[in-house]
Amino acid sequence: MSAAVGAPVPPVAAAPAVEAVNLQKRFGEIRAVDGIDLALAPGRIYGLLGPNGSGKTTLIRLLTGLAHATGGEARILGTKMPSRQTLARIGYMPQAEAIYPELSVGENLTFFARLEGKADPAAIDRVLDLVELGGRKGTPALELSGGMRRRLSLACTLVHEPKVLFLDEPTVGVDPALRVQFWTHFRRLAADGTTILVASHVMDEADRCDELVFVRNGKVIGRGTGAELRETAGQKDLEAAFLVLSGLDPEGRPLDRTAPDAGAVA
Amino acid sequence: MNPTRILAIARRIAQGFRRDERTLGLMFVVPLVVTALLGWVLRDTKDTNVRIEIVNTDQTVGTHIVSALTALASDPANGIAIAGTVASRDDAVAAIKAGNADLALVIPSDLVAAVAAGQRPTLTVITEGTEPGAEASQFGKLQKAVATLTGSLAPPGGSPAIIPQIAHETVYLTPNATQVDVLAPIFLGFFGYFFVFLLTGISFLRERIGGTLERLLATPVTRTEIVFGYSLGFGAFATIQVIVLTLFILNSINVPAIGPIPAFSIGLGVNSAGSPVLAFLIAFLLSIGAVNLGIFLSTFARTELQVIQFIPLVIVPQGLLGGLLFPVNQLPDALNAVAHVLPLTYAIEGLREVMLKGADLSSRIVQTDLLVLAGIAIFFVALASTTIKREVA
Repeated sequence: MSAAVGAPVPPVAAAPAVEAVNLQKRFGEIRAVDGIDLALAPGRIYGLLGPNGSGKTTLIRLLTGLAHATGGEARILGTKMPSRQTLARIGYMPQAEAIYPELSVGENLTFFARLEGKADPAAIDRVLDLVELGGRKGTPALELSGGMRRRLSLACTLVHEPKVLFLDEPTVGVDPALRVQFWTHFRRLAADGTTILVASHVMDEADRCDELVFVRNGKVIGRGTGAELRETAGQKDLEAAFLVLSGLDPEGRPLDRTAPDAGAVA
Repeated sequence: MNPTRILAIARRIAQGFRRDERTLGLMFVVPLVVTALLGWVLRDTKDTNVRIEIVNTDQTVGTHIVSALTALASDPANGIAIAGTVASRDDAVAAIKAGNADLALVIPSDLVAAVAAGQRPTLTVITEGTEPGAEASQFGKLQKAVATLTGSLAPPGGSPAIIPQIAHETVYLTPNATQVDVLAPIFLGFFGYFFVFLLTGISFLRERIGGTLERLLATPVTRTEIVFGYSLGFGAFATIQVIVLTLFILNSINVPAIGPIPAFSIGLGVNSAGSPVLAFLIAFLLSIGAVNLGIFLSTFARTELQVIQFIPLVIVPQGLLGGLLFPVNQLPDALNAVAHVLPLTYAIEGLREVMLKGADLSSRIVQTDLLVLAGIAIFFVALASTTIKREVA
């Protein structure tokens, strides 16, 4: 039951906001990204799913031009990456918090807005309200709780109102209530035409995405809506579908072995 | 007290060290390297002849003294050399300023008259004045030579030799200048370099490990903009630091006694012969180099501790060789060559020229120092910006 090809890529009506053609990244012998093709339509939320070390972060870094591809190419909003002009229209939220603890909430936002060339105080207030940190503008980031720092990090990503968003595990360490809020924001942004790629290894977030891309060992092992992927794999939940598409049985054991403790993968 | 727990903690520390080869290396290798370097400097520091410029204003006896000193100079054991004989002290001072002589011996025109009147004549020794330590040993050699000379010139017939008095004058500063006066420009250069390097190194390392550099690089900012921004930001703080330190060194404010606290003064009250602005310019160029060296070296550190471990590599050799402890021109040849690629060497030389000797922009030495420091700063700016790649993982 090999389904490595997955569901066909649905036809994209408008020009894709994010495109990858046979994108590759090698670190010595390791192929972190091994020939990935992508075409992400504007205004949709895509989930990039795979276990730790599957190449999700490297793929995002290639798409944003933070890393140089060793093969293939990436295009964002029609421009070949890396392109500095295009970076002003991209928002990138790294896995690390990536804020300055000694600066206040407002100072962090103003700093990143200035670098993006959009230091508009009204936009800063808007994004602060969006992440519900409106009353904390003068608080040093150092004094914020973990969840608040996560929200500030998201705000720094959104402050210049980018058209394409790359969020690398944005909800790690975020409590369930805040997670729901984050997704409400993402949905609202998508409705306004923003293209969002969310990397995650949490499968229960996957169903909030319009489309999913499963990656494993630097390759796409399946793509489509959650329902499509479940159907292809013949499984009821996405986690099992991922395992089956990875060439494992639904419990995470290699298909050719029946050892009782082979260990779960996802 | 549970020995198992104590041992577990000790063991944990040993295990941490085993994984951190660099700390281990620094702990054992650096003290050896520094000690060896210090030993080399101390053992092989050149003991050169004192080059004496003789100012002969007494044509009768003076010529005898010149030939007697020349005879003494022919024996290497005496450690003296005659740089030349001139007729006026101005010419001798010019020779010292030009670096052609270490000191000048002035033979007074009233030498014969003083001896005839039964008085002790006064010989004046003029030293450069900016390196009291080195000059004291040169002065000693001359004094010894003069004493030998006086003995040999003793009038026959058993009457006691007339021992001349020796008066000390200096070209720069005063004969009683203290180490503080002389070290003031060195403090300025050293602290500017040290703190700026340390602060930028740690601060940029935090950008790298905290993810903010990733975020920065995902904006349209260029590497050059980052490096210039850092240079300007830390340069501004270095500027304030240098200004405060300069004010402290140059001024002295007396605080009167208050109750049981006795009167004391704040500041060193050192006289600067030259323009504080020029001194500041030298310190500023030095700190721009330090900012970018910090950025560059932060690439090779993964923790703040590892940045601190660069101190023995970056700061200590410069302290040993840069003219902080020993005059650069007395270093063994190999180390002298090394000293001439270190920025602190040029900064200290320039600061000494300006603050102790009153050199201005027309001085070739100051010009060279400024150019070299600017060159080093540009080199480190370029080096730093190559380490900030879009590829930062």
